[in-house]
Amino acid sequence: MPTIAQAEENEASSRFSLNGFGTLGMTRSSSNGAGFVRDLSQPHGSKGEWSANVDSLIGLQANWVLNDQLTVIAQGISRYHIGSSYDPELMWGFVRYDPNGYSSFRLGRLATDFYMYADSRHVGYTYLTVRPSTDYFGVLPFAHIDGADAQWTLPIGDLLLRTRIHGGWLNEKLPLAEHSWNLQGSRMLGGNVSLQSGAWTVRLSSSQLKFGHNLPIDDLTNGLKQTGAPSALAAARALDVADSTSRFDSLGAVYDEGPWQVQFMVSRARHSSQSFQNWQSGYFLAGYRVGSLTPFAGYSWIRSKARSLSTGLPGGNPFDELNAGVALVLSDSHADQHTTSLGLRWDFRENMDLKIQFDAIRGKPDSIFPFRNESSNWNGRTNVLTMVMDFVF
Amino acid sequence: MRLRPLLGLLLLLLLPVAGAGELAVVVRQDSEIGQLRRDDVINIFLGRYRQLPSGKLAEPLDLTPESGTFYERLTGKSRAEINAYWARLLFTGRTTPPRQIDSQEKLIDTLLKNPQAIGYIDSTRLDRRLRVIFEPER
Repeated sequence: MPTIAQAEENEASSRFSLNGFGTLGMTRSSSNGAGFVRDLSQPHGSKGEWSANVDSLIGLQANWVLNDQLTVIAQGISRYHIGSSYDPELMWGFVRYDPNGYSSFRLGRLATDFYMYADSRHVGYTYLTVRPSTDYFGVLPFAHIDGADAQWTLPIGDLLLRTRIHGGWLNEKLPLAEHSWNLQGSRMLGGNVSLQSGAWTVRLSSSQLKFGHNLPIDDLTNGLKQTGAPSALAAARALDVADSTSRFDSLGAVYDEGPWQVQFMVSRARHSSQSFQNWQSGYFLAGYRVGSLTPFAGYSWIRSKARSLSTGLPGGNPFDELNAGVALVLSDSHADQHTTSLGLRWDFRENMDLKIQFDAIRGKPDSIFPFRNESSNWNGRTNVLTMVMDFVF
Repeated sequence: MRLRPLLGLLLLLLLPVAGAGELAVVVRQDSEIGQLRRDDVINIFLGRYRQLPSGKLAEPLDLTPESGTFYERLTGKSRAEINAYWARLLFTGRTTPPRQIDSQEKLIDTLLKNPQAIGYIDSTRLDRRLRVIFEPER
């Protein structure tokens, strides 16, 4: 357990503590056809070679407990992300107000909490696996919002009912080929309800995003508009992401008792912009602890539905380029693959673990959404071997 | 000074407590906190909530050398699993782990100072200043 460095033992006085976490990892995908990334916030991944960038990171958190009701928390993380840099970013930075033992309100920068366990995606030590399932969490690159949330806990007999609502604005940029997509000002609203009974927890979540900016494909959309054809104009509008909404729903169930850890989650994403394909994803994970070793096995999948969008423009110059551009945007968000994972977590000493994990990703050649820098020889299949050491302090 | 161990022995004979090596969840004798069910103890010690039926806040205390055994008996989870669980709560800014106390003497002192505090000690260390509100073994 991270030890709380207390300035004083007197419980009435405020307490300041500094804690941290980190992962040192080496990741290698077997195929040089596409870059395997932890999530889409990373501009490059492992493409047939060992990479320390995919899973390594370090985080530091300051907790300042002012009194029973008020706490201030700031957490910075340095990880490989946009700009191929490790520039630290503020992941959490908020004031928490707990008026009583059942409710909690937070205001400031909050990590996004789309799905169960999504808000601790960077803390490897809290995960049984080396990383959250890439089929399931990897396509959600939104890390934090500036806003507020509220949570209520209600014990009903042997049940524990928990409700949470959150709202705010995204504040980051995402790498997209050589460009970046500005997410700043995109509004996010959502909530979840979870029910806990003994070893079981079930959670239903829903979040909606309203994007503030278009994808960096102005050349294409301007080209379509300049043709003057109403059908091309309509196609350009359908590709607009600004003011379009995306909705993410998920249902998760966790069984956590004695040596067993079992998780099952399914989700679906619905996008009103034609630039993104609707997808469904899910995973199943089971681990059984024997002493300090926990072998685990998992299966995950993601599948999206191809869209069709006609520009109405005839073939031949100069329209071929525009038609090809639209087809490229539409195909870029396609995913159709499943992953089988096997691994071992070894809690070799207090607050540290070593993990080794093997993932066999099997998909169609057109499944490129979860990857970066696809080559023409990408056949949708790659194996990923990862070794990490996680720690908290 | 020599009376204390004798008194402890006497109490051990009189009280229907479990044998040595077993842990009891205790509060100060005059604490408002009544008997707790297993689920209540789990929820309070795992930071799910801290509200007591009286409306006041419970303050759970961890006894460092015994905490592995305590959580193992309470939840069947290893110390590493409980640490990972707390790391998730801590690094998502939800709550902080219970205060860590490294000896039974200090734990008893803290309990005596704070009627909202809940701790666990070896049942051989019970005395009349403390009241048992839950026994994980039962």
